[in-house]
Amino acid sequence: MKTKKRVVISADVRSPKAARVKRTPTVRTIKSAIVPVDRTTRSGNVRPRVEIGGAAVADLGAPVAVRPSLAEREALDRIDLSVELAPQRGLRLLNPIMVASGTFGYGVEYGEVVDVQRIGAICCKGTTLRPRAGNQPPRVTETPGGMLNSIGLQNPGVDAVIEKYGPVWQGWKVPVIVNVAGESIDDYVEVARRLDGVPGVAGIELNISCPNVGKGGLQFAIDRDAARAVTAAVRRATDLPLLVKLSPNVADVRPIAKAIEEAGADAITAINTLSGLAVSPDRTRAFLGNTYGGLSGPAIKPVALRIVYEVAQVVSIPIVAIGGVTNLGDVLDFFACGAIAVQVGTAIFADPELPVRLGEELRAECLRRGLASYGPLVGTALPKRAGASSAKGAEYRP
Amino acid sequence: MTMRLVSAELVDSRQILPGQWVQSFHAPELASGSRAGQFVHVRTGDYSGLVLRRPFSINTADPATGIVTLHFRTVGRGTEWLTRAREGDRLDMLGPLGRPFEVDPRSRHLLLVAGGLGIAGIRMLADEAVRDGRQVVILFGAQSASLVYPSSLLPDEVEYVVATDDGSLGHDGFVTELMVDYEAWADQAFACGPHPMLKRLAALAAGRRERLGVATLGRKRGGGKHDPLGSTAARRKAFLQVSMEQTMGCAVGACLGCTVIGVDGPQRVCREGPVFAAEEIAWESIA
Ligand SMILES: Cc1cc2nc3c(=O)[nH]c(=O)nc-3n(C[C@H](O)[C@H](O)[C@H](O)COP(=O)(O)O)c2cc1C
Ligand code: FES
Repeated sequence: MKTKKRVVISADVRSPKAARVKRTPTVRTIKSAIVPVDRTTRSGNVRPRVEIGGAAVADLGAPVAVRPSLAEREALDRIDLSVELAPQRGLRLLNPIMVASGTFGYGVEYGEVVDVQRIGAICCKGTTLRPRAGNQPPRVTETPGGMLNSIGLQNPGVDAVIEKYGPVWQGWKVPVIVNVAGESIDDYVEVARRLDGVPGVAGIELNISCPNVGKGGLQFAIDRDAARAVTAAVRRATDLPLLVKLSPNVADVRPIAKAIEEAGADAITAINTLSGLAVSPDRTRAFLGNTYGGLSGPAIKPVALRIVYEVAQVVSIPIVAIGGVTNLGDVLDFFACGAIAVQVGTAIFADPELPVRLGEELRAECLRRGLASYGPLVGTALPKRAGASSAKGAEYRP
Repeated sequence: MTMRLVSAELVDSRQILPGQWVQSFHAPELASGSRAGQFVHVRTGDYSGLVLRRPFSINTADPATGIVTLHFRTVGRGTEWLTRAREGDRLDMLGPLGRPFEVDPRSRHLLLVAGGLGIAGIRMLADEAVRDGRQVVILFGAQSASLVYPSSLLPDEVEYVVATDDGSLGHDGFVTELMVDYEAWADQAFACGPHPMLKRLAALAAGRRERLGVATLGRKRGGGKHDPLGSTAARRKAFLQVSMEQTMGCAVGACLGCTVIGVDGPQRVCREGPVFAAEEIAWESIA
């Protein structure tokens, strides 16, 4: 029963080609398409309180080459990608490409492969008052064009987060926005208080897609009054820039977005994941340990676009779009629907360098179009008359 | 070596068993910077919406030639896509990732236990152990003879013992049943395979000292000093180390998607693992 073996593998697997493998540098060419300079910015669509770079539209001319010449490099550097997410409190990003909560940890995990300082802003993993162990495994699975996750907000609690990462973030150029979750308004308020004044914390993003234990487990995000109450309470507790993140799992997101704006949020981020389910391979149960999971990735982009489009027409605070961003076209789509910044989430797992690259690609795109900032790209797909599309949107709700 | 994004050129691709492939890549950074037990996260082509990379154990790594091999089974569209890659194609690999097996420098006899594809998880350890002059026995289990890993793909120096569920080759039964025959001989054991197999091995390992009558010998290894659970030092002293599997998102510790339940709470397979000392895992949580 014992089979004594022989033969060495390395010689076996090694192909004769191995010895003469040479490394061909990959050259990325950017087509030098001549695109007419777009001077017809529909100023009516760019909401007035939004500040994106300089306001001027300048003709910066030349197409981008593989290796930009000095003149091109200078022209690229002149393009201002900066954006203000909290006009009243100050949350200025050097570029509008952020990374989404839960997909980039605390900003340190990808440190060896990504130059995090070149990201517009980092939203860290959802943080709660007390430590949470999270859900039963398995917690992630791939789905067509996306993935499901049910992490269950595993995190060490706000105090540990501050102690462990605060000093790290303080030394960073990139703003870190702490994503906050809770089970009651008091939870949210207490976490916000503890984050208030911590060096290295640039802002708060409220994840309100959590069950409100005080209200029978109903999510804050699907209940307009609860969304308003939690936003207002956190607003009173801290002067930190406050972003509130919408859930797509609602019939009509507009009243909720409005309530959040009225309650004093500086910006709205949208969207969180869509509720979904996967079945185990043997079909005897749900695949995820928690049964349900949140759908993310390219599959949800149309939903995110629709929500950004709707929200942009009812609020005037900045909107940060999230959902299925994998390339510059996606970023431009979200801008066109009224977002002034985007977050990249799931796509980071396949392409960790994507957020940094998108910033560069956006810069090149502005140069190609002769824009000094991307401001003119924002809101171009919105209906010209405010309110005109509301009925249309409602009509198309299956 | 710290992890990085590596462009790995496919130099050879072969089906070694029905549905099982070994692919060789020229990736000198990985070949010289990886240790047994570590893995790579491979990006598949944008193939109608595959959004996640696929984790694979580093099956072998040869610093001299710069070649690493991966051994996988076609289980879905990602792995099917991989089998269609051609020589000269470049794949985007993130690695090396995770923590490796930790062999106690004093261990002379290593028992490696693999269930099916689990062989890919311990294959490189056999090379390292042979290189370091240790004796290696591989216990390998599969459903039937047709799925037994070819002995020609193992180093000369190892003893290879096979079990099949249907008795068509070697021991008639589970590979775990062979463990007891070797537990006195082995200084340490290293396993990779289905979680129920690992759970059984962990249970056997827990009773080993008592069966061998060493439990009463008192302090020996470590002289009473307690290394924290999960530390490299503690793992090095463990009799059984297991390589765990879990579905993954990021593979760098950022998403918390790949956890298994440990006695100290959730453990990320991609960061704290994939190799764990058997004592670290809450086996009751595994079916
Ligand atoms: C693994 C994972 C964990 C996440 N964790 C959080 C979280 O803790 N808080 C939160 O507000 N959103 C979380 N999200 C949602 C993302 O921030 C984002 O809203 C969503 O994934 C959609 O963007 P994407 O399609 O680019 O991934 C998580 C998403 C994923 C995939
Ligand atoms: S796969 Fe993301 S933490 Fe392990």
